[in-house]
Amino acid sequence: MNIELTDVTRTFGRNKAVDGVSLAVGPGVFGLLGPNGAGKTSLLRMLATVLPPSSGTVRLLDRDPSRPAARTEIRRRLGYLPQNLGYYPSFTVAEFVEYFALLKEMPAHQVPKAVAAAVERVDLGPRAKARLRTLSGGMLRRVGIAQAIVNGPDLLLLDEPTAGLDPEQRVAFRTLIRDLGQHATVVVSTHLVEDVGTACSEVALMAEGKVVFRGTPDELTAQGEGHQVGDSPLERGYSAVLAASREQVAA
Amino acid sequence: MNDPSLNEPIGGGSRSAANDDIDLDRVWVNVAAEVWRRHPGRLERTAARLLRSPGLARALFTTPSLLLPWLIASAVVLAVGALTQVGAGQPVVWLIAPAVAAVGIAYSYGPGLDPAWELSCSMPVSDRLVLLTRGVAVFAMNAVLGLIASAATLGTHASAGTAQLTFAWLLPMTAACAFALAVAVAVRSAMAGAGAGVGAWLTLVLAHSATDGAGGGLSAPALTSAITDANLYLPYLAVAACCAVIVLFATRPRRGLL
Amino acid sequence: MDDDELIASLAGGDDMALRQLFDRHAPWLAARLRKALPPDDVEDVLQETFLAVWKNAGTYQPRGTPAAWLWVIARNQAALLLRKRGPATQALLDEGGPVSDPAEAAATRTDLDVAAAAALGPPGCPDRELWRLMYEEGRPVAEVAELMGVPEGTVKSRAHRARRLLRAALGGVQ
Repeated sequence: MNIELTDVTRTFGRNKAVDGVSLAVGPGVFGLLGPNGAGKTSLLRMLATVLPPSSGTVRLLDRDPSRPAARTEIRRRLGYLPQNLGYYPSFTVAEFVEYFALLKEMPAHQVPKAVAAAVERVDLGPRAKARLRTLSGGMLRRVGIAQAIVNGPDLLLLDEPTAGLDPEQRVAFRTLIRDLGQHATVVVSTHLVEDVGTACSEVALMAEGKVVFRGTPDELTAQGEGHQVGDSPLERGYSAVLAASREQVAA
Repeated sequence: MNDPSLNEPIGGGSRSAANDDIDLDRVWVNVAAEVWRRHPGRLERTAARLLRSPGLARALFTTPSLLLPWLIASAVVLAVGALTQVGAGQPVVWLIAPAVAAVGIAYSYGPGLDPAWELSCSMPVSDRLVLLTRGVAVFAMNAVLGLIASAATLGTHASAGTAQLTFAWLLPMTAACAFALAVAVAVRSAMAGAGAGVGAWLTLVLAHSATDGAGGGLSAPALTSAITDANLYLPYLAVAACCAVIVLFATRPRRGLL
Repeated sequence: MDDDELIASLAGGDDMALRQLFDRHAPWLAARLRKALPPDDVEDVLQETFLAVWKNAGTYQPRGTPAAWLWVIARNQAALLLRKRGPATQALLDEGGPVSDPAEAAATRTDLDVAAAAALGPPGCPDRELWRLMYEEGRPVAEVAELMGVPEGTVKSRAHRARRLLRAALGGVQ
């Protein structure tokens, strides 16, 4: 298992952003769904070793990230796309991806080819030498994906990766993560249900800091039978599970 | 580590070849790797060896290119330097000045203004080590500018103030930051490096005040003269030389690395 | 943009132009190289070819066809690769003789369409017709003379002029 969380909690003051989450995830594409404020980003930040948990145990790539040496090793094999990734305007696409490849301590002689492969993989080859300040929002998001995959990570964490992408690019993105999921654990956090429907082998739904559903997309769809809210079967399943969790909390 | 599926492009379409056993996309990636390759200059390559990290070297040399953080960090450093001259008789000013400057640099290149800060926090190269590196860059480049300004204003009304700022603040702080970075690189701990830098600063100040014949002890004149005394420039150089020896020994070339 | 414009553009550092040139010419170069080399070697040669194009685009003089220029570079890169492996493998790439004269080298069947079109004119004109009969169809001088209704000496001198035109079209790139 590349991700093992046991009763993990993260609090900010009195707010419990992540509340007692336990998960075990192996290779493949894992979708993390939920409304805004559900705790997805906080969970992803803990998986990216940016935030420590307030309590509970985290094991990533069979290592304990609370130990400095293990955390460094995890980070070498990690790819992370934060929800709000800013860019250095004067850098070119290739320079930005190269900079983070170097910070990931990739061997220097491997960096040029890895950068070229990552930039081509997100179809930004024609803009490789363009300054980031000249790119659209969707292109910048693809630059973010490129830096996340440049080191061929074993654990890839993507927070709202399709923001700003047009429909064709989103289809291409789903193909990309399916390919990557054959060798690595890919966690896609999104509030867009359609992003996970076809690409993910397993889905978890978070609400109020807790995991309220875990299963396959088909199982989530089945939850929505008879439910009226939603434009697609998967959306109806999503809405049904959320509604049930809110009723449980209210009760 | 290198995922073969990374060689397959998406969205743009594959290049067709008359022979299916030839991967033109892979050929193009290899061509692009050389065409897009950045060739670091000699200084950056040297820094990469000294810092044992091409990433830190890149961070060092790209420090001024992040324009807004660079302007704010430099403004803070120069403002603090000016305050130390205004507060020449106040020992507490000299003690807290480095801390204020460090906070300014940390804010500029940290969670305050660095647009990719959260991403940097997930990197194997410690974000604190990157901050320490950027601190050296800020002080060193402003020290160079200060030296140029001092030379340019020689004999003018502004000469004394410029020289004071450069030789009493920018250069000593560059030395202290360089020492901190040297220790941090040697032991791979930014906190140890920062502690060493602070310790070195205090040691310099207190050592000079202890040997001060006029008043002895920690006095305002002693502290002030500790910073502005030209006799201390040799110790500063000695500290810098020690840093260089430590770093060169710790980063001596080993077969197969760098 | 046509190939001459692309090469001029990439000489100025335009990597997009190199990409377009690659997309346009890599497939047929690969196919031709594949007749003599295994797939891995073809990929290596193609890579070195386009890197050489990137570095030497400034030396290209648009007198001949860019495709012929590319082929000469590719062929030279293939020869370099095989030379490293020894003389036995060098013969794999030789098609009918030594490669010292680019015009002679280009006068193989694989180069004909590309180089002749620019150097000798459209199909039907005398020089192009002579070339087709002598080098594409491999007819002897006597037969070509009879078909074209000219003396054998005229055939020989026209063949010499055609080779000279082709040499100029290739730009003398080594």
